[in-house]
Amino acid sequence: MLENIPVLSCILLAPLVGALLVLLLPKQQGSWHRVTALVFSVIPLVLTLWLFASYQTATGGAPYTEHFTWLSIPLSRDLGQDISSMLVNFDYHLSIDGISLPLLLLTSVVSVMAAIASVHVRKRWKMYYALFLLLETGMYGVFLARDLVLFFIFFELTLIPMFFLIGVWGYFAREKAANRFLVYNGLGSAAMLLAFLILIATAGFTAVQGTDGVQIAYSGSYDVLLNNIADPNAYANMDPSQTGDAGLHLSEGLKNWAFVLLLIAFGIKIPIFPFHTWMLRVHTEAPPPVVMIHSGVLLKMGVYGLIRFAAFLLPAQLEDWSTTLAVLGVINILYGAVLACVQKEFKLVLAYSSVSHMGIVLLGIASLNEIGLQGAIYQSVSHGLISALLFLIVGTLYERTGTTQIDELGGLAKSMPFLSGILLTAGMASLGLPGLSGFVGEFLSFLGLFGSMKWLTAIGVLGVLLAAVYVLRSVLGITFGPIPDRWTDIKDARFVEAVPMIALTALIVLLGVFPSVMTDMMQQGFNGLLEQIQQRAGG
Amino acid sequence: MNMLASYLTLAAVLFCIGLYGVIVKRNAIIVLLSIELMLNAVNLNLVAFSKYGVQPSLTGQLFSLFTMTVAAAEAAVGVAILVAIYRARASVNVDEFDELRR
Amino acid sequence: MTFAQYAWLVPLFPVAAFAVLITLGRGAGRQAAWIGTLASLVSLILSLCIAGERLSGTVDEYNAHFTWLQIGNYSLNAGFDVTNLTSLMLVVVTLVSFLVNLYSHGYMRDDERITTFFAYVALFTASMLGLVLSDNLLTLYIFWELVGVCSFLLVGFWFQKPEAKAAAKKAFIVTRIGDLGLLIALLLLFWYMPGNALDFSSIHNVFTTEAGVIAGGITTLIALLIFLGAVGKSGQFPLHVWLPDAMEGPTPISALIHAATMVAAGVFLVARTFVIFQASDAAMTTVAVIGGFTAIFAATIGLAQNDIKRILAYSTVSQLGYMMLALGVGSVSAAMFHLFTHAFFKALLFLGAGSVIHAVHTQDIREMGGVGRNMKITAWTFGIGALALSGIPPFAGFWSKDAILTAALTHQPLLFWVGAVTAFLTALYMARLFFMVFAGNPRGEAHAHESPAIMTLPLIVLAVLAVVAGFVETPFNGWFGEWVTGEKPEAHTSAMVIVVSVAVSLLGVYLGWLIYAKGTVRRDIVSSRIPGLVKVLENKYYIDELYRFILVKPLGGLGKALAVFDEYVVDGVVRMAGQSAAGLGRLNARLQSGQLQGYALTALIGLVIIALAIAGRRFW
Repeated sequence: MLENIPVLSCILLAPLVGALLVLLLPKQQGSWHRVTALVFSVIPLVLTLWLFASYQTATGGAPYTEHFTWLSIPLSRDLGQDISSMLVNFDYHLSIDGISLPLLLLTSVVSVMAAIASVHVRKRWKMYYALFLLLETGMYGVFLARDLVLFFIFFELTLIPMFFLIGVWGYFAREKAANRFLVYNGLGSAAMLLAFLILIATAGFTAVQGTDGVQIAYSGSYDVLLNNIADPNAYANMDPSQTGDAGLHLSEGLKNWAFVLLLIAFGIKIPIFPFHTWMLRVHTEAPPPVVMIHSGVLLKMGVYGLIRFAAFLLPAQLEDWSTTLAVLGVINILYGAVLACVQKEFKLVLAYSSVSHMGIVLLGIASLNEIGLQGAIYQSVSHGLISALLFLIVGTLYERTGTTQIDELGGLAKSMPFLSGILLTAGMASLGLPGLSGFVGEFLSFLGLFGSMKWLTAIGVLGVLLAAVYVLRSVLGITFGPIPDRWTDIKDARFVEAVPMIALTALIVLLGVFPSVMTDMMQQGFNGLLEQIQQRAGG
Repeated sequence: MNMLASYLTLAAVLFCIGLYGVIVKRNAIIVLLSIELMLNAVNLNLVAFSKYGVQPSLTGQLFSLFTMTVAAAEAAVGVAILVAIYRARASVNVDEFDELRR
Repeated sequence: MTFAQYAWLVPLFPVAAFAVLITLGRGAGRQAAWIGTLASLVSLILSLCIAGERLSGTVDEYNAHFTWLQIGNYSLNAGFDVTNLTSLMLVVVTLVSFLVNLYSHGYMRDDERITTFFAYVALFTASMLGLVLSDNLLTLYIFWELVGVCSFLLVGFWFQKPEAKAAAKKAFIVTRIGDLGLLIALLLLFWYMPGNALDFSSIHNVFTTEAGVIAGGITTLIALLIFLGAVGKSGQFPLHVWLPDAMEGPTPISALIHAATMVAAGVFLVARTFVIFQASDAAMTTVAVIGGFTAIFAATIGLAQNDIKRILAYSTVSQLGYMMLALGVGSVSAAMFHLFTHAFFKALLFLGAGSVIHAVHTQDIREMGGVGRNMKITAWTFGIGALALSGIPPFAGFWSKDAILTAALTHQPLLFWVGAVTAFLTALYMARLFFMVFAGNPRGEAHAHESPAIMTLPLIVLAVLAVVAGFVETPFNGWFGEWVTGEKPEAHTSAMVIVVSVAVSLLGVYLGWLIYAKGTVRRDIVSSRIPGLVKVLENKYYIDELYRFILVKPLGGLGKALAVFDEYVVDGVVRMAGQSAAGLGRLNARLQSGQLQGYALTALIGLVIIALAIAGRRFW
């Protein structure tokens, strides 16, 4: 049915079309904007679900791939005798595999839920929904792009709508938070750009023998880079004394620099200690639906980038840096958890718990084996769903009480049993209760890392205990205990609020009980990487 | 040759006095006068070189005539601005005029 | 077809009941709660069928499993085992659960969240059944955690009480410390076991027939970590602190937690992975010593408590210590036997206590008294439970305690005497409890009356079981131990053990009768002479305070310190970077004074410098 349609482009462009449509609609009709945004968020969801259902691990993402040259700029550098032309190509290359598909699905699910949760937005709907849809396009692009330049463009594209969504629709210190967000992520983008330039300049070219000489083309194509870096006979890996061109040699030192730059770039996004402070502000100041997207998807872009570019392109460096990564992961876990234990503001508890949970992802990546890597992706998806659910609850709660200070709340299980039940479930998922998705991700990450670094894992596991402390402290602080008089009459979640909550909870349970719906698919995505790592270990 | 040196010395002294006045004096009228002084120092140089220079010609004197015309126009504009400022601020002190900063 | 093939249905019924009840929610009304009871009844019947089939001895042990998660060459399985041990546990759990269900219809009748209550109970039962049936450590761990969370939900059932909130939180966090141990043990086993197998039969093979595959140090470590898990769940010292606080939950839940589900899990776990312990002497000694110490330690605290449920809670801690002691001296059969009998008489005691509380609306035994006159059934059944717990023949507790003490005497004579002293203390505090509650004259205002039949019926059933359950394994007829463990127990009943244990128990009861019923010995005989001792006991050896001092406070302090660090150092560096850039800008802005003459001077100076530089170049 959908075989002949460019599905990936449809996923990518549907929100963009939606954004334009929203801008064309008359300003007064708030509900039109809402419905349009919802419809154009649901389209990608349906398409990704179809992808998920029809994805064959044997063929991978090849049937869906879309690839053509978008822009080709000739370079007039002094051409040698045999060289007929020299080009810089910008490719439009979209593809999926077992790693990006789960994250794509996460993006579409969280986007739809956040779109529904945006009912609480009270001002300037038109701009809000336009930016919201633009943000969606950026996120899909990040997970779909297979060209470094294209990836960079989409990565940057997410910054702009986020900046305005935080700065205009946020809480009291929104402008500061938006500025901090932009400064940090701008720094990360700079590092990423530099790393990409290093990679493209050294390993990004292909030479094709034409009739009138060799055609040399530079491009940021992921596949080209992957082959060139992995192939020992590629130009980039040759000794400069043989080729006579030191500028085109990707030396070990350069690889190291590229890896560190990528680590910084994506580390800011993930965020890795000590780059996490911007995220706290976004968590507390941005409007809840935006935080759902931010915590649910944007942080995972860092994970995805780290795995896709740092790990796959530079596996040897990943191996050298794995201990450092694991140490950083353990620091993240414990630092975030301890701080989450003392916060008075529920949103800050959740923010620090995100820091802690992303540490587990780092552990999974650092483990360098399939169990850990799958755990990392699994944990990313699961944390995305859980934190989206938690911030959905926060939004609903704030709408009624006007506060998220734990001290001021209490006993809400009395007046809002449904919401409290969902909150408790989400909390349990967050602290890694078996049967819910959080457990699988945590368990696989720990299990993977334990194979290589036992002591670090044993320390990191302490985070699980601290998670119980901070989750129970905050969740029970809100739902249990005697209820203050002013909260006795507040109403439980409305239908429109309950639907996304139930949907997310159901997904969390599904992933917790049947993890194999995702792991089989991810397995195929990691095969290539593991072969490379094992080759290096063997040779 | 000594004649040229004397003219140049006089011009340099006049120029320095004018520069001093431009930088130090607070009264805008004196600043304008000092600018005239600097311009005239330059005129003196032009005339001196046209008479005693390596290739004496009338071009230098012609230039000084132009300069005088421009100086007159400049003084007229400057004084007009000063009058306008004086009407607005009741002062001709240069250090009170720092609108450029904003 | 055998019933064993359908053992997976046993936990499924309560799960279904949970799903239905939680979906129906509060509006469903009291009648809906019978769904939960019905499910547990069906489970009970099926369990009885399975156990009957095992008892007949005609069918082999049954195992079925599937791959839960396949990652490359590694696979994680889930599955269930039906053995004699598991079938026994199935019966115990479903039976107690069913009786508690019945009882709760009376006890929780007026609670508006009664359907939620029954939903939680059903989930609790299901988790425990799943734990019992698990054929590998990972599945067991999953249900282990679920058991923990269910007990948390039920302890905190009356969520509006701050004490219930604190107790629920404490129960969850303290047991989670133990869970961490189990998790790490699981990770260790996964990577050290040949073929990454986690199922119990492989573990059994590796540690018995292929001894030496896993190094001795690692074996000890694994065993101790598993034991840490058991310590947390089974309330052994030093992680016992959550169990008495868990009394904040509704009383039927206390019965369920203390008799069949939560705390039994720890003992069951050690019994299930017993081969690992056997491979390490150090681990065995640790288990025995911790068990023995906990037994006597908790019994002394039990002497000084005044809350009826807390006394019973400490007696549970103490009895679980007995079971651990039995495991530590190598007798799985004695431990399981005591677990089996203890389940009945402890459930009986808690339900009886609930019946009393239901009638007099207080939990303080100093405000009770003479309750027995109006509550004949409760008094009689409670008395039977108390005698069974005290180890008076021929009640069930006597036989199982005797088995433990016999095992202790052969392997660790010192611990035998610890056990004997504990038996004396047990009899003493149970006598104190019984006489203060049921004998004498009423001290409180409330007028006691007998509970409805739906509450007394379970009491009677349990009382009967508390009398007869012990006869499955007597020194004269020891088929039970062999049936459960598959090994013929060493036959070495010594008359001395029986004499000592009967003597100390009778002495304890007699002393209790003298002090608390007859009054010939004054009650403050100890407290007047050594007031410090009583104070220490009443405050439970200040263990809670110790935890607060060495764990909770430092953690909070660390958190606050790190919060400051985060705010002023990590964030401060960033802020400083931003501010220094802004400061530099302000500094430059100051040069922009707007003073025309200043600009001119600057230009002049610049000109001079350039001129000098150009002129100067000639000379270099």
